[in-house]
This record gives sequence, structure tokens and C-alpha cells, in this order.
Amino acid sequence: MGRYLLRRLVESAVTLVLATMVVFAGVRALPGDPARTLAGEEADPAAIAAIREKYGLDQPLPVQYYRYVENLLHGDMGRSLRTGLPVTETIAAALPVTLQLAVFSLVVAVLIGVGAGVVAAVRRRGPAEWGANAVALLGLSVPNFWLGLMMILVFAIAFPVLPASGFVSVFEDPVESFRHLLMPALVLGTGLAAVVMRQTRSAMLEALSADYVRTARAKGLSQAQVVLGHALRNSLIVVTTIVGLQLGALISGAVVTEQIFVLPGFGKLTIDAVFTRDYPMIQGVVLVTAAGYIVINLLVDLLYSVIDPRIRVGGGDL
Amino acid sequence: MTVPAQTLPPPEAPPPAAPPAAAPAQRRRALRRILRNPLSAGGLVVVAVMLLAAALADVVAPFPYELTNFDTTLQPPSPEHLFGTDELGRDQFSRVLHGLRVSVAVGVLSVVLSLLVGVPLGLLAGFYRVLDPVISRLTDTMLAFPFLVLAVGLAAILGPSQTTATIALGVGGVPLIIRVARSETLRLRELDFVAAAVADGASDVAVLGRHILPNAVNALIVQATVSVPAAVIGESVLSFLGLGVRPPTPSLGVMISSAQPLFRDGPWLAVFPGVAIVLFTLALNLFGDGLRDALDPREVRR
Repeated sequence: MGRYLLRRLVESAVTLVLATMVVFAGVRALPGDPARTLAGEEADPAAIAAIREKYGLDQPLPVQYYRYVENLLHGDMGRSLRTGLPVTETIAAALPVTLQLAVFSLVVAVLIGVGAGVVAAVRRRGPAEWGANAVALLGLSVPNFWLGLMMILVFAIAFPVLPASGFVSVFEDPVESFRHLLMPALVLGTGLAAVVMRQTRSAMLEALSADYVRTARAKGLSQAQVVLGHALRNSLIVVTTIVGLQLGALISGAVVTEQIFVLPGFGKLTIDAVFTRDYPMIQGVVLVTAAGYIVINLLVDLLYSVIDPRIRVGGGDL
Repeated sequence: MTVPAQTLPPPEAPPPAAPPAAAPAQRRRALRRILRNPLSAGGLVVVAVMLLAAALADVVAPFPYELTNFDTTLQPPSPEHLFGTDELGRDQFSRVLHGLRVSVAVGVLSVVLSLLVGVPLGLLAGFYRVLDPVISRLTDTMLAFPFLVLAVGLAAILGPSQTTATIALGVGGVPLIIRVARSETLRLRELDFVAAAVADGASDVAVLGRHILPNAVNALIVQATVSVPAAVIGESVLSFLGLGVRPPTPSLGVMISSAQPLFRDGPWLAVFPGVAIVLFTLALNLFGDGLRDALDPREVRR
């Protein structure tokens, strides 16, 4: 376990360092001279040179990269070109919105996905399986932003029962928060629910044909006890992993969902940064996303190896 | 184990070593099996009809897609304008046909791009143990970047356009292709006919090109039938966010995006392009499911 833990930690650290390099290189690849951009259109050469010196842009690239990492380690990601506020603070303010949305979506996805997956596995070759398959396929085929628009059309315009936009924190007003986040969470959760359903179904099918389930049946346990107590419990290992892996997709999906429902979260911050060419902000959001992704992947891997000892022995490779 | 289940290589014993020459016959058999499955056959027909309509959009469309008519603005669907008209009086049916063409072009080209980059890298990673850690780590790093972040970065560098969307989707798809090609190579490398070719003194290039690649094609085709619909949806998302195709070029995502401000007055403007996306991706996914079942050598015929 110790060796596996160490190996995964080192791997994640390497990936994180590579990510900072990509972000660093990416910003340097942007068209135009950043010093000129910062100085403004009509700046004289002396002002540009001053800015270049101030930000260390006259230094060789490795030195610049070293400084960039040094600042990062101090939590300094520069200031937004648009608002002048520190990037770190702005991101910290937007994250809670996205996290609340993500958690709510995850709940939706697990409830729908695991429920439908279990039903589809237990009642094979019937309308239930057919229906669950249809839902899963639709989940993969319907773009979630379009689903969001259609929901606004129905639940906010045709029958105005839910607000079409805006955010209320769950810590301020749980009821209003629920009303505001319900549609976004359904939109973001359904795509994930389709994936969870497929995985749950195949894991359940495998579990139901396993020897320990036959033993459980032979002991005279009821169908519900066998399905929920034995098969589902073991299937949840796989489901946990899949949910963990899909958190990244959830981050991508949140960008679109926040855009549709005008939620002031991380995703909206990302898009606004791109359209205003706010390079420090772009750099910050990209790096935070990548870091979040890497940490989640690491946690999922570790969780998985705790649950399933075979992973440690096998070294976790294909 | 950071691999989504559908990209895992078959864990069980490999199929009986099929010499490369058997592949065409096997594929003909697969096609027959798909056509017997009503869902995947239906998917194939819908995909074919939509592709044809998109390719012949100039001929099939009842109106030129950029033709404005200020006497017939924002009309709901009618026999004359099947999908209604927009705020400039443009026929939405014609625009959906052209939009489908743009969206499918981006989707297919991006997957071709992923294949061109991903297949060689995957073959190398699977065949040479020295290269494997490097390429696999690269793949992980790319997967560490959520696709949308990559697209955002590219749009910031290149500016939003149809080309940017294609490149972003293509690059985003590379890691998956690498994984499929790599795991197929790992599997095939151990088979007898490959060992025989190596013993026979075949060069590495010959082994990879003549023995491994042709036998990995099935898995790659199946992956492509999953990747293309995902890329079509990806295009619509990027264009919706303003990171991909830009108006006035009508892609399906652009159409939905520009329909948003007119939501209350012309909801049909957002409905039909979305239906087109759903229909196309659903049909392609159904066909892909059938194809996977038909090409899977482990599948026992019932």
C-alpha cells in the first residue's frame, strides 16, 4: 500500500508540474506581446520596456517559469486585467456556486442513475430494461445546454413555476436555493446519470451471477436482501469510481450550465475571461481546473485501492 | 485504473487468432448482423438519410439558407416553412440542413484528426515498452485537462472559428484513441500470428502496419462511432458558447445560440436545431451499439 500510495503521489505531482508547464507555455503562445497589451494601445516604447522589466518578461523563459511557479506557491496568480482584483480571490468567490451546483447534480445523477441501473439489471428483457436503455441513450445524445433551454421553455416560460436564472446560496435560503438550482442540477445531472446507470447495470449483472449471490439466495434471503444487501453493495465500488472520474466532465458541463442559467460560478468566470481576453484569469481558471481534476483522480484511485486490494497488487496498470 | 470502462481492452482470453486476410469476410458478416437488429439498422438508415440531406443541402433545401425575407419574419412552422422562420425571415429548415452539414463536417474531421494523431502514438506505446510510460503519461496529462478548458485555451490563442472547434475537438479526442490503439496493440502483440511474423523476420514496421493495425481497425471503428456523435455535440456546445463556429455560418450550435435572445417570441428557433442534433447523435449511437455487438468476437450468436 505504501509503495502504491507513493507512486500515485509522485505521478500526480509530475502531472501537476506538466500542467503548469502547459499553462505557462500556452499563455506565451498567445498572439501579441503581453507587455504591449498591459501597457495599452498607445504606450511609448519606454513604458512597454518598463512593464516588461516589472513583470520579468525580459528574462529567459526558464527564469520566467521559475518565478511563475514561485508566485503560484504563494497563492499569487496575478490580477485580473478586467477588474483589477486578484485572480485567486475572484476564483475563491466563484467556486462555492459551482460546488453547490456540482453536489446537487451529483445527487441527482446518483439517485436516477443507480435507481435505473438496479431496475434494469433486476428486470432483464422487459420494458424496464428497455426503458432504462432508452434513457441512457438519450442522456448520451441530448446536448445538455439544449436540454436546459427546453426546460426553461417549459418550466419558466410556458408554465412559470421555476426561476430561469440566478443563484441563491443554500446557506442563506435553502428553499429558494433549491428552486434556483433544480433545473441546472437536472440538466447537469442527467448526462452523468446515463453513465452511472450503464455502469451500475453492468456491475449489478455481474454481481447477480456471482457465487456469493447464489449462496445468499440458497440461504433463503429475500430478493430485496439479495439485490440491495449483496449485489448493490458490491456494485457500488464500481459506481464510486465512475462518479469520481466523471467529476471532471461535471466541471466542463458546469461551464455550459452556468452560462444558460446565468449562475455566477467558476464556469461563467472562465467564459467571461476568454471573451475579455483576461489572460491572468484564463491562466488561473485553467490551472485550478487541472489541479482539481488531478486531485480528484488521485483520491478516486486511492479510494479504489482501499476498497479493492487487487489494484495494489496489480500495480494499477492495464 | 483511471480508464472509463468502455475503453478497457477485452480482459478475457483473446479471440482465436484471425489472420488479417479474414477481416473483410468478418466485416461483411458484421454488417449482416447489424441489419438484422432493427434498432441499429434504423440508426444506420437515419444517419445515412441525414448525411445525404446535409451533403446535398444546396439541392434539397427549399430556400437558400442566407435568403432574408422581411415580410415573413419570425413565423411559426407552416407547410411553406417547415421549421418556421427567424427574425430575418430566413427559412429554418434550409438553415438546419446547412447547419447539419457544418456540424457533421466538424465532427467527422475532428475524429479523423484524433485518429491521425492518436493511432500512431497508440501503436508505438503498445508495441515499444520504452515509449509506453512517456506516451501514457502524456495521455494522462491531456486527460487532466477538461476538454472545455482545452477548447477555451485554443479559442483564446487562435480565435473562435470552425477550424478552432475542429482542432479543439480533434486534440481533445486524441487520448481516447491512443488508449484504444494501445490496448489493442498490447492484446494483438501476444497473439500467435504476430509472433509468427516476428519469428519470420518481419520488420517492426511490417508487423505494426500489416498485422497489428488491420486487426485493430474494428475497435477503432467502434470508437469512432462513439466519438463522432460526441464531437457533433461538442461542436454545438463550443459554438453555443461562442468558442467555435461563428455566425453567419449556420452550425446547429450557432443556430441554438442565436435563438436564445428570441426565446419568448420564437421558441421553435431553438427547438429544431436541437432536435436535429439529438436525432443524428441518437441514430449514430444506436448504429454504434449494434456495430460493437456485431464486431465483438466474444459475442456468442444467440
